[in-house]
Amino acid sequence: MNTKLEYSGNNVSLMEKLGILTDAAKYDVACTSSGVDRKGTGNSIGNCVAAGICHSFSSDGRCISLLKILLTNQCIYDCKYCQNRCSNDIPRAAFTPEEICTLTMEFYRRNYIEGLFLSSGVVRNPSFTMELIFRTINLLRNQYLFNGYIHVKAIPGADPQLIRQTGFLADRMSVNLELPTAEGLRSLAPNKNRKTILTPMRQIQNGILENKNDLVLYRKAPRFVAGGQSTQMIIGATPENDFHILNVAENLYQKFGLKRVFYSAFVNVTGDKALPALPGGPPLLREHRLYQADWLLRFYGFKAEELLDEKRPFFNVMLDPKEDWAVRHLEQFPVEVNTAPMEMLLRVPGIGVKSARRIAAARRCNSLSFADLKKMGVVLKRAVYFITCGGRLMYPVRLDEDYIVRNLTDRNERIRFGTDGMSYRQMSLFDDGSFTGEPKVQELMQTAVGQL
Amino acid sequence: MTVYRCDDSLESIFTAIYLSYEENRNEEDTCLALDDDPILFAENVQVQPDPARAVKVMRTLERRFGEEDYMTVCMALASTECRKAQAVYRTVVKGLDTRCARGHLFDDLTDHYVMEAFSLARLSNREIGHLKEFLRFQELENGILYAKMGPKCNALTFLMPHFADRLPIENFVIHDSTRNIFGIHPARRQWYLYTGQDGEEPILRFSEEEVQYQELFRHFCRTIAIKERENKTLQRNMLPLRFREYMIEF
Repeated sequence: MNTKLEYSGNNVSLMEKLGILTDAAKYDVACTSSGVDRKGTGNSIGNCVAAGICHSFSSDGRCISLLKILLTNQCIYDCKYCQNRCSNDIPRAAFTPEEICTLTMEFYRRNYIEGLFLSSGVVRNPSFTMELIFRTINLLRNQYLFNGYIHVKAIPGADPQLIRQTGFLADRMSVNLELPTAEGLRSLAPNKNRKTILTPMRQIQNGILENKNDLVLYRKAPRFVAGGQSTQMIIGATPENDFHILNVAENLYQKFGLKRVFYSAFVNVTGDKALPALPGGPPLLREHRLYQADWLLRFYGFKAEELLDEKRPFFNVMLDPKEDWAVRHLEQFPVEVNTAPMEMLLRVPGIGVKSARRIAAARRCNSLSFADLKKMGVVLKRAVYFITCGGRLMYPVRLDEDYIVRNLTDRNERIRFGTDGMSYRQMSLFDDGSFTGEPKVQELMQTAVGQL
Repeated sequence: MTVYRCDDSLESIFTAIYLSYEENRNEEDTCLALDDDPILFAENVQVQPDPARAVKVMRTLERRFGEEDYMTVCMALASTECRKAQAVYRTVVKGLDTRCARGHLFDDLTDHYVMEAFSLARLSNREIGHLKEFLRFQELENGILYAKMGPKCNALTFLMPHFADRLPIENFVIHDSTRNIFGIHPARRQWYLYTGQDGEEPILRFSEEEVQYQELFRHFCRTIAIKERENKTLQRNMLPLRFREYMIEF
């Protein structure tokens, strides 16, 4: 197959290309480098750390972990939400595989990035595009001997053989679900359909499973998508509610064995009339709540239907999903920290996975007090309504939904903690909370001579 | 009361721990101090660092508490706080006395000293993590990669294995400017530390491509940000300002 790219504007400088193709890739959210632990080989460059490493943070506060670029922003599709749609008049460019490899290697050895994130607009047809991607990362792995993290997109509709070959070179693969429902996809992305998106997803899932069995037999078997697969959904472009979205995510985790589902607050870049206008900016709070709920699904043992239901299909704006769940289930609280099972500890607002583990380890040796909890990292500001230590509440609170919600949300109603974060005192007329330190010698002198 | 006066090094502190066991001291009546503050009615013992004894203690700690907890102990000792020696001493004694299982040294966080050692290690660990992220190498004329940093804790010994594993075929140098120590890694060989002389500053001449790649990366960082989502506070929370001095993109 002839893989030489023919298009206008190939004579732009590397700097301009990088600008155009980074700009084109920036709405993709999956910039993590986690999931794989791989030591260096001694004669190549790179290793991988399971926790992932973020190398910088851009001015929107998102991490820069991978060199996130498109191979080309030329695209034959016309998805209404995408700035690279073929009917959009924007500068187009394409990298050569060598350019991508050099950039990745040079950035990597200077510790700017953790690896490469490669996606692409669809050139000619999906298989052709997938082959271009495959050739690029093949070059990077086998000629440039890059041993760091590689995340590539599987292009829906591409030849399964190509996806399989690519999977043996990449650490993570992802197929973008784009929109949570098939109807949404039909209306905004006329060239894509749900089936072609789910087919490669299923293929990668099966590939990973098969590979696991192979690895049991042969320890040195090549690894297929060792970091698992992920996907992303655009939030706020179509009228789905949070309950739908969370259910879709839960299904993806359970039925497709996904490592991560990413949510991307919709930014209207094309100005298409089929898209919502969003005068208040992208729905960032909604995205944030979905991520919080996503964590509850994956690490805290919650289920989607516990957090939301048909009657309350949207997340509470004021409370995070865990607080929201807790105030609606006060019959299960307060929880005795010294005896409660792990599953219940994880459900207390203010106690995270790490602090729950620390509590479980420490209470084997000694009984815990509120001061200990504070030092271990429990956020008492939130947890205090829901826990007891040695059968006692930290101070008298009412287990009443309105009271707790008011305290959790309202800055003025909130219980005043002393400077040590532990002691609680009643407000008096002459207190404003900031008068905590001892008066300085100078101040005492000023008071004595009547200057203060 | 016996006070072992050590200096701020792993070797010295581990030697002191060895001595306290050799001389059969009661831990309630023993103290490890890094400073020279006098304590009333205390017997002072000046510790002479002894590599052989320190290694014995290291091996014992690693064998008894497991590699992870041993690393946590080392990280606590990388901190700049003076109280680290005492905290680590009491934690180790408690662990050895109670015969805690491997990986369970830091379980009892209700204990004052264990908690202190744990939180010192947590601070160091966090900073080492940040440095793994934010360290920036610059290529010199002769192809050597050079990185400068100004960490609070003594992070260099933890960073070198990470980067040596990552960039085995590169010649690179990491310079800790607060302590004036250099971590030097010759390509395909074992890395080592070098303590700079007072007032000695390396003379750096950067390669021609270096400026280009810095400019490319700066352009990349600017472009990847989404204007509609701008959030400088979040950026500052994730990337504290004190690291930016050494980063080329700011």
